[in-house]
Amino acid sequence: MSAEAWEPKIVAFCCNWCSYGGADSAGMGRFQQPPSTRIIRVMCSGRIDPLHVFNAFLEGADAVLVTGCHIGDCHYVNGNDKTKIKYKFLESVVRELGIEKERLQLNWISASEGEKFASFIRDVTEQIKKLGPSPLKPEGVS
Amino acid sequence: MQKGEMFLGWSTKEDIRKRGGSGGLVTSVLAAALDKKLVDSVVVLKKINDFEAVPVITSDVNEVLNSAGSLHSVPSNFAKLIANKNLKVALPAKGCDVRGIIEQGKRNTIKLDNTFIIGLNCGGSMHPTVTREMLEVMYKIRPEDVHGEEIEKGKLIFETKDGKEHAITIDELEEKGYGRRESCRYCTIKIPNNADLACGNWGVTGELAGKATFVEVNSEKGAELLQNAVDAGYVQIQKPDEKGIAARARIKGAMEGLSRKWKEKVFIPMDNRLEYFRKELENCIDCGACKTVCPTCSCGDVSKCTEFHYRGDAYKMSMYHLVRFLHLADSCIGCGQCTDVCPVDIPLTRLYRRFANPVQEELKYEPGMDLRRPPYFEVKLND
Amino acid sequence: MSDTKGTDVPVESKDNQDKGNQDEKRVGVFVCECGVNIGGVVDTHAVADYIATLPGVKATSVNKFTCSDSGQADIQQKIKEHNLNRVVVAACSPKTHEPTFRACIEQMGLNQYFLEFVNIRDHCSWIHMWEKDKATEKSKDLVRMGVERSKLLEPLEASEVPVTDTALVVGGGVAGMQASLDLADMGFKVYLVEKEPSIGGRMARFDKVFPTNDCSICILGPKMVEVVRNKNIMIMSYSEVKEVDGYVGNFNVKIEHKPRYLDTSKCTGCAKCSEVCPVEVPYDFNEGFGTRKAIYVPFPQAVPLRAVLDKENCINCKACARACESKAIDYDMQTTYTDLNAGIIIGAVGFKTYDPEPGHDFGYGLYDNVITAMEFERLLNAAGPTGGHVIRPSDCREPIRVGFVNCVGSRDKNTNIYCSGVCCMYTIKNAQLLKEKRPETDHTIMYIDIRTPFRSYEESYNRARNLGVKFLRGRPVEVKENPENKNIMVRVEDTLANEIRNLEFDLLVLSTGVVPHDGIHKLQQLLKLSKAADGFLMEAHPKLRPVDTTIDGVYLAGVASGPKDIPYAVSQGSACAGRATILLKNRKAITEGITAVVDPDVCAGCGVCVPMCPFQAIKMDEEAGKANVVKALCKGCGTCVTACPTGALEQSHFKNDQVLAQVKNVFRFQEAAV
Repeated sequence: MSAEAWEPKIVAFCCNWCSYGGADSAGMGRFQQPPSTRIIRVMCSGRIDPLHVFNAFLEGADAVLVTGCHIGDCHYVNGNDKTKIKYKFLESVVRELGIEKERLQLNWISASEGEKFASFIRDVTEQIKKLGPSPLKPEGVS
Repeated sequence: MQKGEMFLGWSTKEDIRKRGGSGGLVTSVLAAALDKKLVDSVVVLKKINDFEAVPVITSDVNEVLNSAGSLHSVPSNFAKLIANKNLKVALPAKGCDVRGIIEQGKRNTIKLDNTFIIGLNCGGSMHPTVTREMLEVMYKIRPEDVHGEEIEKGKLIFETKDGKEHAITIDELEEKGYGRRESCRYCTIKIPNNADLACGNWGVTGELAGKATFVEVNSEKGAELLQNAVDAGYVQIQKPDEKGIAARARIKGAMEGLSRKWKEKVFIPMDNRLEYFRKELENCIDCGACKTVCPTCSCGDVSKCTEFHYRGDAYKMSMYHLVRFLHLADSCIGCGQCTDVCPVDIPLTRLYRRFANPVQEELKYEPGMDLRRPPYFEVKLND
Repeated sequence: MSDTKGTDVPVESKDNQDKGNQDEKRVGVFVCECGVNIGGVVDTHAVADYIATLPGVKATSVNKFTCSDSGQADIQQKIKEHNLNRVVVAACSPKTHEPTFRACIEQMGLNQYFLEFVNIRDHCSWIHMWEKDKATEKSKDLVRMGVERSKLLEPLEASEVPVTDTALVVGGGVAGMQASLDLADMGFKVYLVEKEPSIGGRMARFDKVFPTNDCSICILGPKMVEVVRNKNIMIMSYSEVKEVDGYVGNFNVKIEHKPRYLDTSKCTGCAKCSEVCPVEVPYDFNEGFGTRKAIYVPFPQAVPLRAVLDKENCINCKACARACESKAIDYDMQTTYTDLNAGIIIGAVGFKTYDPEPGHDFGYGLYDNVITAMEFERLLNAAGPTGGHVIRPSDCREPIRVGFVNCVGSRDKNTNIYCSGVCCMYTIKNAQLLKEKRPETDHTIMYIDIRTPFRSYEESYNRARNLGVKFLRGRPVEVKENPENKNIMVRVEDTLANEIRNLEFDLLVLSTGVVPHDGIHKLQQLLKLSKAADGFLMEAHPKLRPVDTTIDGVYLAGVASGPKDIPYAVSQGSACAGRATILLKNRKAITEGITAVVDPDVCAGCGVCVPMCPFQAIKMDEEAGKANVVKALCKGCGTCVTACPTGALEQSHFKNDQVLAQVKNVFRFQEAAV
C-alpha cells in the first residue's frame, strides 16, 4: 500500500456535550474531513480513562485524540480540569514509551466549533500520514 | 521534648545493649511502647539465620526484646504487612518502608494516627539470594558459617563463627554485581525524616561510637514515643554534640551525592525506548507478584491493571504494565520490591522509575514524604 | 490475572430480572438513508449486508427515514419477528433522535438503554461527501463498533425522587415576578429573593418602553403590587442566596438578609426619615444623576414600600430615629439568615448595561456631554432627577442636536460580539420621546444595522422616521469635544452615501449593550450551571429547552440566559413556571439513569473518588470502608470512574467494557495486509 493511499486510523474520544457536538456541527456545516477518524462518545472527557487510550493504541490506533469542553465550560463543573491531569500522566507515559507526540493529542472543542473540529482532524491526519503507522499497531490490523 | 530535637540514646538494659546494634535504642523504644500500652502491637524481625530474617507482628514484649540486632539483608517492605489490619502499632522502618506506610495511609488502609514509625537511617539493603552467592563467590565463605555482619567505612564486613572478619569494599562488590539492591543505590532517602523518629549510628562519635543511637524527633508522635521509653526506664538519652550533628549531616550529604550519581548512571537517556521496554517485558508471565508486593498499591486482587489484560491479546505492550506504569508514575517510591520478587528477573523498578522520574520531577511530588495528595487524584493542578 | 479470559467479550455475570439481559444477544441493525443525506454518499445496503454477517446480528434493515412512522414500525415489527433484545440505529446524531428510538423500543417492552445509536450522517456521510467508498467502509466500522457495544448494554432504570412543592425564584425583575405570580396562582408557595431593597429590576428604571411607548412603571407598578398582595409569594428583598445544597425536589437553600437598619413591620414607607436626613449621596437608581439621602425609600412605587438605611454613608446623627413616628429605626440590626427548602429553583438574575467608562468608548468619561442611554432614560423620566427635562451635563442646557451611537459594547470584537437585541428599539424610542416633548430637537441615530423583528417594532421605526429622526448608517471613527462650548464633534462615515461626515452635537448618547450581572456568575457557582462564551448562563438546549438548564429542577428566565426584551423575558418567566409545575404538581422527579455504581466487593476504600465529584455524590461508608454513590446527586459524568484505581467504580451505560468494545472494533484484522 503506498503512503499516499494509506489512511490512518484515529480514535477520537469526545464528550457528549461539547466535542461530540462539535463533530456534529462539522457535519451540519459539511466541513469535509479525511475518513480517518472513529469517534467514541463518553459523557464527559473526564471519563476518558488512560486505559481506554492505551487499549486504542494496542489495538492499532495510529493516533488517539482526547477532546472535551473548553476549560470553564464543563457540563459537569470541572470534569475537564481532571481530564487535563489524567492527560498529563498519559502524555508522559506515551512519550516515555517513545511514541511520537503527534499520536496523542488533546483539544478543547465546543459544540459550535464545527470548523475547528474539522480542521483538527485534517491536521492530525496529515501529521500521522507523514509519520506512518503506529509502532504499537499489531501485525495485520487495519 | 518536641519536634526537631536531636538526642543520643541507648538501652538501659545491658543484654540488649550487647545484642542490639548501636546501644539497642530502637528495640527498647518498641518494647516500651508495647509495655506502656502506647500501641497494641509491634513489628520485629524474626531471624532465620545470622543474616536473614522475616518481619512479624507481635504483642509480646519479650519477643521484642529478643529481636535486638540489625541486618542488611532484609529488603521486605513493612507497609503491606500492617495494611488493612487496623493496628495500633509501632515499627522500625527504612526510608522506603516509611514512604510505603504513608502512601498506604493516604489510601485509607493504614491509620497513620495509630502508627508510630521509627525510621532507620539506611544506606541500602541486600537481596538474600544475592548475598548468599556473594558470600561464596566474593568472600569465599559458606553462608552457614556467618555469625554477624556490619558496614564500616565503606566496607561490608562478615564475621564468621571462628571469630574472623572478612571485609570487601562495597564499591568493589557493586562493580561485580553484588552488594546493595539497585534501587537502594540511587535512593536519596538516607535519613527518614518522614518517620516519627529517625534513628541511626551516624553522628555518634567519640567513646559512645557503636554504643548509642542518634535520634531525631520528626513529629509530636515521635516525641511521645521516645518520651514514653525514657519515662518507662527503657532508654537513657542525652544531647548530641555539635561535632556529631555535623558528622551526621556530612555522611547524609555524601550518601545522597553518591545516590544521584548512581541515578544518572542507571537512567541514561536512550532512543528506541519502545524496543527497550518490550524486550525487558517479553518474559513476563503475568504472575502479578509485582503488584501484590507493591507498597503503594492499595487495590485488592481485582484492579484496573489486571482486569483489562488478557494473555490472548496480541499486543505489542502489556496492558497490565502500561496501566501500572501510569498509576505509579506519581506514586512509585522506588523501593525495589517488584524487582526483588519478579520470578523472571525483569528489572521492574528500573522500568517504573523511567516513567516516574519525569512525572515526579515535573510535579515536584515526592510520594511518601508527606501527606500531599497524589497529583493523579487532584481535581486541579496549580500551573 | 488469568489466561483463560481470551479476547472474547466477557459474559454477563449479574443475575438480572430483565429477560433481554439473560438471553443470548439478538441484535437488530437499522440503517437510515436520511433521504439522500446518508444514502447519497454511503452505500447503506452494503453496510447492512456486511453487518448481517456479524455474530449476534439477527436482522438488518435499510430505511429511507428510520425516524418516520414507517421506519419505527419496521423496528417494532422486527423486534417482534426476530425476538430482538438489542437495537442499533445507524442514522443521525443521538442528540437529535436518541429519545425517539428509546421510546420506540420501550413500547415493545425493551429497556430503553438497549438502544445503541450510531452516527453515520453528521460524522460520516456529511463530512466525506466526495469519498463514497471510504465513507461506506467507515460506516461499516462505526456500525460494527455499535453492534459490539450494544451486546454489552445493560438495562437501567431511572429512579424517582420526591419533590417539595415550593419554589425559589432568584431575582425580582419582571421575569422573576412573572414566574412567581404564575406559580403562586397555581397554588405553590414561592420565595422570591431580590438583592435590591425593592423588586422591579431594571424595568422599574425605564421611562417608557418600546414599541408602544407606555409608561414603564405605570404597567410594572400594578404587577409589583400583585406580587406583594399574593399570599403564596414571600418576598425576600435586600437578600441574597448564599448556599445551595441538595438536588432536584429537595434544594436546601441559605438566604442572607442584609440589615435595613429598620423594622420593616413598623416602617410605613412615609419617608419622613429621608426628609430629615442630612446626608446626600449620588443615586445609583438614577444612574448617578441627582442624589438620595443616607436613609431612603428606593423609589415611590417600591415594593416593599419600606425605607432602607445605607450604613456606609450614615453619619449616625440619629435624626431619622427622632423623626420616625413608628419607631422603626434600629441601628444595631444584624445580618440574618433563613434556611429554606425548595423543590425547584428559577434563576431570573438580570443584567447591567455595558460600562463605556474604563475604555472611554466614544469619549465617555472624558467629555461631559457624552452620556449612556440609561442615563438618558433617567433624564427623560418625569420622576427622574430633572423632572423629565433632558439636559446636557456640562451646562444644564437643554440640547437641540442629539446624536445616538448604537452597538456600544455589542457587535464589536473588542467588547462583546453578540447583538444585545434591545438597543435599536430603545434608541428609536428615546429619540421619539424627546422629539415629541421638544419638536425643535434634531436627532441622528448612527447604526450598523437597524433590527426591528417583532410585532409593531418596524412600525415604531417608521414612526421615528416620520417624526424626522435621522438614521445614518455608520459607526463614529472619531469623537472630540469642542473645548469652548463642550459640543461633541463626531466624524463618521455614512456608508450608504459613501462619504465622510463631520457632525456637531449638543449631546451624544451611547446605546450601551446588555452584559451579564455579577449575580449571574454567583448563580452559576451556586447551582453549578454552565456559562456560555458570552458570559450568560447556558440553557439545556438553545431551541428546544430554552428555559431548562442541565441541572434538573433549575430553570432560567429573562436576561440570565442572554439579552432579551420585556415581552420575551415575561414569556420566559411564564415558561419557567410552566416547566417547574410539571415537577411541583407531580411531586416527584425522574433522575438520571446513567450514574456511577460501586462494586463493594472490589472497592478498596481508598477514597480517591470522593473529591473527584463536584456534586458531592460520593460518600465514604466509614464502617464498611467502601465508597457509596448517592444516585439522586450523581450526574453521571464518570470522572470518579476514571480515577478509581481498582475499577470498583463503573459508570452505567459507559462501563469500561462497553467503551472498550467500541475501541476494539474500530479495527479489523486482515489476514494478508497488502
